[in-house]
Amino acid sequence: MNVYHPKITAWVWLLGIVIIAALGSQALRSDWLETGFLALLPTSEQKPEVANAIKQHNEAMARKVIWLSGAGNAKAAIANARVLKRQLQDSGLFKRLDLEFSAQSYRDNYQQLFPYRYQLLDAQTKQALAKPQDLLSQNLAMLYSPLGQMQAAGLERDPLFVFSRYFNAQNSVKLAMEEGIVILRDGATFWALLLADLEDGSNKLDKLETLQALVDSAQKQAQTAGRELMVSGMALFTAAGSQSANREMSTVGLGSSIGILLLMLLTFRSPRPLLLSFLAIGCGMFSALVLSVLFFGKIHIITLVFGASLIGVADDYAVHFFCDSFGSKDWNPRQGLRYILPGLFIGLLTNLLSYAGLGFSPFPGLQEVAFFSAIGLLFAWLTVVMLFPVLLTGFKPEHEPKILKLTAYWQYHWPLWVFKWQPWLIAGMAVFIVGGIAQLTPRDDVRLLQSAPVDLVKTADKIKQLLPLSQDNQFFLVTGNGQNDWHDHEQQLLAQLASLKQQNALKYYQGISDYWPTEHSQQENYRLLKQIFYSSGLLQEYMAGLGFSKAAIGAELKQFVAAENLSLSLTSWLKSADETRQHLWLGCKDGHCLSRVSLTGIHDLPAIAQLQTLPGVSLVDPAQDISVLFERYRLRASYLLVGAYIVVFMGLGLRFGWRNGLAIISVPVLAALSALAMMGWFNQLFSLFNLFALLLVLGIGIDDAVFFFMAGNKRASTSLAVTLSALTTLLAFGLLAISSTQIVHAFGFTISVGILTALLCAPLIGFRGYKNYYDNQSNQ
Amino acid sequence: MIILKTLLLLVFTITPSYADDVLSQIAVHLVKADITLGDFQQEKHLKVLRKPLLSTGTFIYHQQKGVIWQTLSPVPSLLLVNDTKLLTSEGELAVPAAFGQVFKAMLGGDFKQLAEGFSMAGGGQKSAWHLELIPNDALLKKLISAMVLAGDTELRSLEIQEAGGNTTRITFTHISHPTLLPPGQEANFERLSP
Repeated sequence: MNVYHPKITAWVWLLGIVIIAALGSQALRSDWLETGFLALLPTSEQKPEVANAIKQHNEAMARKVIWLSGAGNAKAAIANARVLKRQLQDSGLFKRLDLEFSAQSYRDNYQQLFPYRYQLLDAQTKQALAKPQDLLSQNLAMLYSPLGQMQAAGLERDPLFVFSRYFNAQNSVKLAMEEGIVILRDGATFWALLLADLEDGSNKLDKLETLQALVDSAQKQAQTAGRELMVSGMALFTAAGSQSANREMSTVGLGSSIGILLLMLLTFRSPRPLLLSFLAIGCGMFSALVLSVLFFGKIHIITLVFGASLIGVADDYAVHFFCDSFGSKDWNPRQGLRYILPGLFIGLLTNLLSYAGLGFSPFPGLQEVAFFSAIGLLFAWLTVVMLFPVLLTGFKPEHEPKILKLTAYWQYHWPLWVFKWQPWLIAGMAVFIVGGIAQLTPRDDVRLLQSAPVDLVKTADKIKQLLPLSQDNQFFLVTGNGQNDWHDHEQQLLAQLASLKQQNALKYYQGISDYWPTEHSQQENYRLLKQIFYSSGLLQEYMAGLGFSKAAIGAELKQFVAAENLSLSLTSWLKSADETRQHLWLGCKDGHCLSRVSLTGIHDLPAIAQLQTLPGVSLVDPAQDISVLFERYRLRASYLLVGAYIVVFMGLGLRFGWRNGLAIISVPVLAALSALAMMGWFNQLFSLFNLFALLLVLGIGIDDAVFFFMAGNKRASTSLAVTLSALTTLLAFGLLAISSTQIVHAFGFTISVGILTALLCAPLIGFRGYKNYYDNQSNQ
Repeated sequence: MIILKTLLLLVFTITPSYADDVLSQIAVHLVKADITLGDFQQEKHLKVLRKPLLSTGTFIYHQQKGVIWQTLSPVPSLLLVNDTKLLTSEGELAVPAAFGQVFKAMLGGDFKQLAEGFSMAGGGQKSAWHLELIPNDALLKKLISAMVLAGDTELRSLEIQEAGGNTTRITFTHISHPTLLPPGQEANFERLSP
């Protein structure tokens, strides 16, 4: 111990932290925070094209905000929508605002495709060609109908109405329009539709706040004017979520800060321990963040959230050091350190061991959490050990805090009571634990992560009902080797979807192969028309019967012949299509083609999911995928958790002997089991996130038990340290149990039960030896 | 062309109070009944065809339930219309609900409904009146330039003038107002209810 020089180690520490700060100033300048859930998937499982498709889809969905301006008549609704549009434009939040849908683009689209009219047939018309006479009588019925104005107007250019059939099939969803604006009717209310695309698809927090403020003020304006306004969009859900999280976090944060502040100040009557605790935790977290970013490039937000929970463990080291000062009359920091170092060292080692287990998992999320936690603990520990002896110079509380008397009394009499009733308590615990765990049911549904406000959900449902157009989150991916292969696959899928639609399994679906036939089928379409109408004389007969002039009939035949070799490539078709459809095509790479089929108004997901057996077809259900991912993470983390407990037990057994090892490990084991049992009894949400809490319970439980085990005759100050650190952790994380977000609540609940149980069990460790010593002292 | 221009001029110079006046006068004369049925003869003049398309059939108007429009010759077909739906033998037609509303309102002489989408002008005496409707909606105007209704105590004819030059003229005959729907037609209306 002669080589130990507090000042030198303090300088070494300072040098280290400066280096880390320098590294941090570089590393944290880049975009280091990962928020996508897919980043949590093991790399080998993530097909890049699927990931891209999902990303693109999610981004497009995240951008959309739907505004419906309502009034008692269409005119007022439109006028209000126009005012609203100007306001939205001025906000600068939106990349695109669609209120008037120009007839021009519709006409342009018609004109772009019209030259290929003999090549383009929709599925229904193709079927109808089998009975040409029926098709012709349909035409007549259309012409004679009092509503056939639109069709009749196109008779000259498209005498068979073949192209108008194709074009109508392309635009099969028709909405009532006035002045080019979509008007939805709902009882006595007319709603004008305004579609907006956010400038920024990443839903950054400050943008969300601006959006929320905009929605609020627009809603207030509408209300005072006696109008109605409905707004919906993923961004609003995110905004509401982050708002409530912010509110909760600041309540919890404020409450716990005040609590911790008071506790530390009342106990030590000096700001020094408080400031030093923050320093140790801060250094730990900062180093963990910097080194993790350097090591992984980017770290996930989940890592950060659960890494931050380490504060509870990191705090143990500092508090233990301070509390030791109450242990002896002529205490000084160097002596104190010498005394507590073995305990601190074993505490650190066991904690590192338990986190190391997570690192051996193929899941990047768990690896990150393991690395982050290990680094954070190590640096917090190093700060305590290397810096505190210098900074605590002259620190020696003269008072004896009330809480010390309390813990001193408690650490002696509580074990006495427990050992007296041991058999009953063991039986009671067994029933409690077995009964609780038997009721534990895991729930991995990612949707539980979000708790959306009721009125937002209501509005979204109402809009969905009025406007059955917005795509669902699920979609199909269709692949094929080359365009023809892909086209075949998608057509097979769409045929099945058509029959499911008839059975009301869904409202609407869209795939581009319904609009664009392959070049081969285009030629076939032309041949069909030629064989049935143009070279059989049927067309001439039909046109002459209607009253066309000979010249008009001749011109039509000539145009047909001239169009023989035309073909419309997919690229040209895509150019004519609107953005929504363009996004359905994901392109070909190395002869491998990929497209998306969008789904709307799904009623029967299982029936739709069965279509995945078709060749080249897979259903993407992002929420479901993440839920499955969470489940796999949960299972994997459970094994690792059990592994961590075993490894720690082995380490303790080798160091302290198997009997003692068993006694020490029993504290966190009992704490974890109690937490699980309580979750079962109170039907709490049990998912991956509770397991992170249990890992924390392991770390804290081990610390508590080891400190007591090594306390010897300093049990009074040790029990103060353990109680203080348990209370601070409870304040920091136990308060999360009041959160309205289920998952956060469950995390807080688990930690609270675990820490309280550990606190109750820890004084039992090493008590018998102490009692002998204590009794001897009293006898003398 | 000159006639059309003067007509338009007339329409635009007519003050609303005058139009309201005419409307209320016509409305006074019209027989008010829940059910109206009769025959129709339709004459469609398309610019590209050298002869008009002639068709005949029957219609039933029910104030609450909608309209059954049954073409009997030359090609039998059935059209069912109400405020929200438009059904043909092919299934539900993807036509804006406004079409159905206007169609039903014209047959039923429901001027209040028509006033929402059209500027109106008209005139006449007790025994005969006519009313011209010009769509307000710019898009609809590109398709239909005017519709002319004429009648006495009943609506006797309806003419749709398209912007492209095609016209459709429908005349109504054998109009009656039974208190009950003819047998079998209840089922047709049933198909319209959601």
